[in-house]
Parts: sequence; C-alpha cells; structure tokens
Amino acid sequence: MVSGAGKRFGGLEVFREISLEVGEREVLAIIGPSGCGKTTLLRCIDGLIPLTEGEIKVEGAPVVTPREGVAMVFQHFGLFPWKTVFQNVAYGLKLAGCSGAEIAEKIPNYINLVGLSGFEDYYPYQVSGGMQQRCGLARALSVEPRVLLMDEPFGAVDAQTREILQFELLRIWDMRPTTMVFVTHAIDEAVLMGDRVMVLKGRPSTVHELIEVDLPRPRDRATLSMPRFAELRERVWGTLMDDARRAEFEVKR
Amino acid sequence: MGSEARWSRHVTVIVSLLAGAAVWEIAAYFTTRAFWAPLSETVGSLAESARSGVLTRQAMSSFQLYLTGLAAAILVGAPFGLLLARVRWLRVALENYIMMLYATPMVALIPFILSMMGYGFAPKALVVFLFAVFPILYNTVEGARSIRPELIEVAHAFRSREWQLWRDVMIPYTLPFAMTGIRQAIARGLVGMVAAEFFLSPSGLGQMIMMGSQNFDTAGLLAAILVIVVLGVGLMDFGRHLEARFASWRGHDK
Repeated sequence: MVSGAGKRFGGLEVFREISLEVGEREVLAIIGPSGCGKTTLLRCIDGLIPLTEGEIKVEGAPVVTPREGVAMVFQHFGLFPWKTVFQNVAYGLKLAGCSGAEIAEKIPNYINLVGLSGFEDYYPYQVSGGMQQRCGLARALSVEPRVLLMDEPFGAVDAQTREILQFELLRIWDMRPTTMVFVTHAIDEAVLMGDRVMVLKGRPSTVHELIEVDLPRPRDRATLSMPRFAELRERVWGTLMDDARRAEFEVKR
Repeated sequence: MGSEARWSRHVTVIVSLLAGAAVWEIAAYFTTRAFWAPLSETVGSLAESARSGVLTRQAMSSFQLYLTGLAAAILVGAPFGLLLARVRWLRVALENYIMMLYATPMVALIPFILSMMGYGFAPKALVVFLFAVFPILYNTVEGARSIRPELIEVAHAFRSREWQLWRDVMIPYTLPFAMTGIRQAIARGLVGMVAAEFFLSPSGLGQMIMMGSQNFDTAGLLAAILVIVVLGVGLMDFGRHLEARFASWRGHDK
C-alpha cells in the first residue's frame, strides 16, 4: 500500500523510507511520539497532501487526490458549525450526488448506528465533544468506505468518553468491518484497536517496529484485562518510551 | 430579565422620550423661529406635507435611491469579497486599493462624480453604492479568510469540487460576516443618500431639508430630519435582526 514514502516540509524531513501494507479488513494502528509525522502520513494516504518521495497505492491505484471508497475521521471533528447533526452526517452523500430521498432513507441508519438518534436537529455546539465525534464517525461511515482513516479520532475528548467511544467503534467495526488505519498516541488504544501496531520513531521518523496483535476479536472491555493485552502494551511501551527518554535528554543537553 | 425589571426599563425609556420631547418643545420658546421650531409645529408640518403628498413623494424618491445603491452594493460586495478571499493573487493585487477607498471619506469623491457623471439618478445611486459597498466587501473578505483550514480540508477529504466548496463551506461560513458588513452598509448608505441629495441634484428628503433651511422653514427642516432619524433607527434595527438571524452558530465556533 505504502512504499518508500518520505515527506519533507521545506528543510524539515518528517519521515522517510516508510513502507507498509494493510490487508483487506485489517486494522493497522500507527503510534509514535507527537511530531513524528503520523498524522502527516495519514493525510498523504488520503491524498490530501502529496508525498515528497515514494508512492502510495490504494486498491492498486496510485493516490493523488482523495479517492472514492476512502473516508477520514478527524481529531478536530471537522463538523460544519452551521449544519445540524443530520446535515453534517449527510454531507458526504450530498457531495456524492445522492438524491434527497436517498439521504433521508440512509442517514438515519448511520445516526442510529453511532447512537445519535434524537439529536438530528441539534447543532454541533449544542452537543458534547463525544457526540460531535460520533457525528464525525457517522459522516465517514455514511459514504460506505472500504478504507477508514482515523486521525487520532478520540484525542480531543475526555478520558471516560474516549473509552466509551473506543468500545463503540469496536462494536461498529465488528458489524461492518473495513480496512482501517488508526493513528493514535495512546498505547492502550493502539493495542486495543489494531491487528498490528506500527511504531514510528526518530527524526526523521521511520518504521521502528511492527507488532502483531494476536488478541481475539470481537474485542471489548474484557480484552483489556487479558494477560496478553498487558504483554503487548508493555512491548509497545518499551519501544516507544526508550525513544521518548532519549529525546528528553537531547532537549535537556 | 424579570417582568418587573422589564417594566421599569420600559418606564425609563418612555419617561426619557417624553422628557426629550418636552425639552424640544420648551427650547423653542427661548430661541427665534428661524433657529428652532417646537415639536408641535414640526409634527404639524410633517402632517401637512404628508397630507399634500409631498412627504410621501420625497420619501419614496429617497428610498428608491437608497435601495438601488444598497442593493447594488450587496450584489457586488458580497460575491466579489468571496472571490477575493479565494483567489489570492487578486486579493494581493487589489487589497491596497480597497483599503484606500475604505479609508477615504466618500464625501470627498462627490465633486469628482459630479464632474464625471453630472446630475441625475445614476450618479446619486453611485454615491450610495460607494458609501455602502466597502464595509460589505471588507467584512466579507475578512470573514472568508478567517475560515478554519480544517473545514476546507474536510471538504477536500470528502472529494468536494470547487463549486461545492463554495456552496457548502465558503458561502455559509462567510454569510454572518457579510451580514455584519451589510448592517454597517445600511447605516453608511443612509449617509450616502443624504449626501447625494445635498451635493448632486437635490431630491427627496435631502431636498426637503435644504428647502426648509433656505426658506427659514425650520419646522419643515426638522420634520424631514425626523423622518430620516426614524428611517435610520428602523433600518439599523432591521440590520441587527438580519445579522443575528444568520449568526446563531457564530461565537460557538471553536
């Protein structure tokens, strides 16, 4: 899917030589310290910004602009404040040229799926952050993507809401599994969501380790208390923190 | 606000207005008529000109001028402002001119317009237009430029075409800002209207004021001013409603 990818902003090289492949209906979690370029990589995969080096292919075709069949959920939610929850969820279908009748038929299912029934006519500023991201998720799901790109989707909500949304997402994924690239800086989240966890490190960052997560699906709250979960989390922690400690020293020196 | 607080507010407003009217009335007895006419005479003059049809005709003439200029300003200012916000080189090329014209007191341009276009309806409408267009243009450009880049990115991620980006993002986002501009334009257009009626061919309420002043008909003069004041207050109120109506989500946009 991604081969030899590199990205530079002017003189700043963000990442280099990143190659990865995500299988159909596989969930790849990408984790790394802040500033490692994981979000930039995701934007490149979506086709929002071009790579400096290398190539990205989705379903065999090189990515130059955002593709049909790929949808993104943003850390900042990216809801339109002048649109209601319903109108926000319907945005993707409206752009895709769906008729009003089609939208009226399909959208309630997605609103229901993310648990927002009854809030259709509210504006984003009237609902909580967690509900806003449910809305963002419904908007992405409504275009029936085959690939979901998640850009730290729960990074901007509080800890409890975050946990609730994680299990909601797992439940939804079990109902309609799609290929997913899930960018996060939370170790638990990466292990809980991913079939594999890719650790990005260094400056410019590279793929440091690719960890297979052999936890059974469907995953739920019970997964968190499995010994294997703790083991995997420790492993990711070790890889990540090793670097973070060194980085801290570099700053202090 | 409790109903009692609202009541005392109403009472204060009414007392204040009555006191103002009384001062107006009484002041006339300490000055000459050429200077100041009491409220009663002003209202009498207003009723007289309303009966004879002069007031309606002149007010309609003014209003027609005002609306023509304002409508042109909105139709040009808002779309052009959006265009400037989206097309960078055009904005960079023109923003200095816009700032210069926005800062120039438009009254200073009236003699120039007179020598260019002479007397008639068109140059007067142009004056109203020039008074009104810059706040709309300026606010629209600033509004459209302040759009959060994330929202544009979301639109791109959902494969929005350029015209869809305008329809779904640019225009709805900018509308409240344009409304702020339009509210300001409503007030400035009124100034433009009176200025045009003074300095170009006299007509409408401006002509009524001038005639009152030349004939030492102070009551007639004040009557025309009173009409403009009421018009201004009404229009400003309308503008504020318009702005509030389109800006319900603004201020919540984090």
